[in-house]
Amino acid sequence: MSTLTSPQTIALLVLLFPAAGALLLAGRGWRLPRRFTVIVGPVAVWASFICTLNLFLNKVNADFTYWTWIKSGSLDVPFNLLVDNLSIFMCLVITGVGGLIVTYSVGYMAHEDGPSYARFFAYMDIFIFSMLLLVLAGNFVFLIIGWAMVGLSSYLLIGFWYQRRSAVLAARKAFVMNVIGDAGMILGAFVLFVQFHSVTFQAVFRAISIGPNNGCLECRAVPIADSGSLELAAFLLLVGAVAKSAQLPLHTWLPDAMEGPTPVSALIHAATMVTAGVYLVARMHPIYDVATYAHDAVAIIGAVTALFAATIAIVQTDIKRVLAYSTMSQIGYMFLAVGIGAYSAGLFHLLSHAFFKALLFMAAGNVIHAMHDEQDMRKYGGLWRQLRPTSIMFLVGCLSLVGVIPFVGFFSKEQILGLAFSRPGTLGLVVWGVGALTALLTGFYTGRMWWLAFAGKPSPQRPVEHPHEAPMVMLVPVGILAVLAVVGGFIQTRALGIGPSAVSDFLASSVGSVHWEESTAAVVVGLVTMLVAAGLFVGALRMRPWSASFPWAQRLLERKYYFDEIYNAAFVRPMDAIAGFGDRDIEQPLINGAVMETGIATSASAAGLSLTQSGYFRNYVLVFVGGAVVAVIVILIRASA
Amino acid sequence: MAIAIFFIAAALAILGAIGVVTFREPIRCVLSLVVVMLALSVLFLLLSAQFVFVVQIIVYAGAVMVLFLFVIALLGPAREAARGRLRFQSWLSALFMLVLLILMWTMLQGIQYRQPDSTDMSVFGTVQSIAVGLFTTYLYPFELTSILLLTAAIGAIYLSRRQIDDK
Amino acid sequence: MSTLNIGGSQLDTSWFLLLGAVLFTIGAAGVLVRRNPLVILICIELMLNAVNLTLVTFARQLQNIEGQLFALMAMTVAAAEAVVGLAILVDIFHTRDVEDVDDLSELKG
Repeated sequence: MSTLTSPQTIALLVLLFPAAGALLLAGRGWRLPRRFTVIVGPVAVWASFICTLNLFLNKVNADFTYWTWIKSGSLDVPFNLLVDNLSIFMCLVITGVGGLIVTYSVGYMAHEDGPSYARFFAYMDIFIFSMLLLVLAGNFVFLIIGWAMVGLSSYLLIGFWYQRRSAVLAARKAFVMNVIGDAGMILGAFVLFVQFHSVTFQAVFRAISIGPNNGCLECRAVPIADSGSLELAAFLLLVGAVAKSAQLPLHTWLPDAMEGPTPVSALIHAATMVTAGVYLVARMHPIYDVATYAHDAVAIIGAVTALFAATIAIVQTDIKRVLAYSTMSQIGYMFLAVGIGAYSAGLFHLLSHAFFKALLFMAAGNVIHAMHDEQDMRKYGGLWRQLRPTSIMFLVGCLSLVGVIPFVGFFSKEQILGLAFSRPGTLGLVVWGVGALTALLTGFYTGRMWWLAFAGKPSPQRPVEHPHEAPMVMLVPVGILAVLAVVGGFIQTRALGIGPSAVSDFLASSVGSVHWEESTAAVVVGLVTMLVAAGLFVGALRMRPWSASFPWAQRLLERKYYFDEIYNAAFVRPMDAIAGFGDRDIEQPLINGAVMETGIATSASAAGLSLTQSGYFRNYVLVFVGGAVVAVIVILIRASA
Repeated sequence: MAIAIFFIAAALAILGAIGVVTFREPIRCVLSLVVVMLALSVLFLLLSAQFVFVVQIIVYAGAVMVLFLFVIALLGPAREAARGRLRFQSWLSALFMLVLLILMWTMLQGIQYRQPDSTDMSVFGTVQSIAVGLFTTYLYPFELTSILLLTAAIGAIYLSRRQIDDK
Repeated sequence: MSTLNIGGSQLDTSWFLLLGAVLFTIGAAGVLVRRNPLVILICIELMLNAVNLTLVTFARQLQNIEGQLFALMAMTVAAAEAVVGLAILVDIFHTRDVEDVDDLSELKG
């Protein structure tokens, strides 16, 4: 009996509940009444959440091996789950926020027909399962399996309304870029396997031996292994993280992914999937602590992406695109944090971002729902008066995003910036500068979004004169997240130099702690930054007509720095040309031709040979005699030789 | 004296063979073949094959050739047309035949004769010696040959029956 | 070794063999050139006779009766074959007049 409730079983149940939900819905759900889906979909996720809570409260910290999957020579791949504080943290975010979003989508997707409704929740459950597998996996093989399945679920969910061509193209784009990341990650895993002859995390991390190392965050590793190969592995894994988290240069899929339904954007493009990259770097921190070049690259990529995305967000007119670029930017902050070694700071920002970004997306979903699927903000205006509850929650999300005290966004963002500022070495200051500038821009574009959509008078192009609020099933999850966004910051107020630090303490056992203190100057600078950003938020109302003076800048930003055009010209067109060439000049004439030619040649030779069947008896006898003569000649020659 | 007989018989045989191949009417071909067979039977006699000589005349010239004559009588004399359809056939045939002849001549030159198996010529070729061989060592082929003849007879009767059912 | 003592005179084996070869060749040429099916059968008989001559010659040269036994068997088989061949020919003649064996070319292609 005890085995049924042992941590080992419960950890497995965390995975099994969403998997079972997905199977039920995919197998039977589309035939059964809607009520079935309404119950099974969210319950699968909430049951998983309860199991995760159980693991959390019991302070489970173990590596559970369930069975050996592959054993071939020196390759030993077990099915094991590494349940430590980092995994539990991620599972809480995934199942908790995921549960809220899945519950929300019961209402949002209500006007889908029966089979599609079940299909949506089946896809959501598959996604939750894959994401949980990703964070719980104890070895590289299952990490990659979960990683790839997350990419697949993303494809399925972005292209959910598959009758729309734009959705299908967006899904394909996301999948292709994810596969590029997968390739990098798999190669990274190969490099590590070649080096350490094991695929399990524990074995690999243990093999990177312990010793003092200057400048290293954890002071944990002096590699006995060749650090060149670790750098290579770290860079390759970084490719995977960059693709999954939509950082430069593999970021172009994220804005297009807004073609999917809003709950999808909330779940996988705000709270969970795009944070998988951050999780990866945090999980692989023993490697990154040693591979300093790759580690610095993480921070630089994060900082640059943060600024880059913030600039583009300024000119977006679609409310979901603003939020998408904002996501890109905030994940840049998380990369920045884990890149400088502040792992728990990055993960705390992951948590707070999950709260307020999911909140923002779902509140935006309420608005879109009320506006009959209109997403262009210029056609909104004046929603504050008409959709008061949603507007309040949206405002909470905005303030959290900008980083205004006392919302959770302030504490997480300022902790990152403060640690960057106080970090010994130049990298910290550089990325701090970029991050601070980004924070100011965040204030601006968030303000612009708020004033355009919610304040002022209703736009004359409004599709709906009197929008009505969302139903309870959609308001309640948003409300819960709003509350979390308000109070969540108080579990970790270290950014101010005082107060509790629950998150970093919790995560310290998995990812270690920073070894420098946040200086008082950093705290002051952080508060100043926040104030300026808040000021920009308010002042955005006055600053709107700036774009007329810089039309070239406007165009550059609207075209997203021409990244899509560059990629199209550099990769898509050449690949199309190569494929066309291959089909036209190689496949058709050579391969197809060879196959067809074999048939044609056989028929032709048969036709030719059939001429010998003349039907004339005398011909046959002639050939007969001719053969006999030849045989006699051969015998004679042999006999005389 | 034997040499003279040999050459006369050989000449007759060759003339008859040429006649078989050349005559236009089939009846003349059959008769030429009879001439060949008789000449050959004389040669058999020269070669101390008395029994074979007799059998050749009675069975071959007497029965098989008569059978041919009957068939010609049944089917009617057919003259062969002067020109055939396959033009190259005659030239190639001549070529092959010439080659074949040259080959056989070459083979003849290369024969290495060995010692005879026995020296007693008194009973060679007599009915007695044939019978001894046929009914002791070669009994099996003898019986099989009789079955063969039976099969041929049945086959011939079946093949040449009149079709009563149709018409 | 190749000389045979026949009736007091000395004959050479190779004369008989050469005669057999010539007869065989003539018969083969006839099979190839003639177009009347009956005549073709006759030429086949000629070839068989030539072979019989060769067999009997060797029987005499080696003084082994087996050659003559073989010749007898060959004669029997030739007779059977002539019978069956003629029967087939008669059967074909029942349906059509065959003057030229080239007319029987339905199995072409």
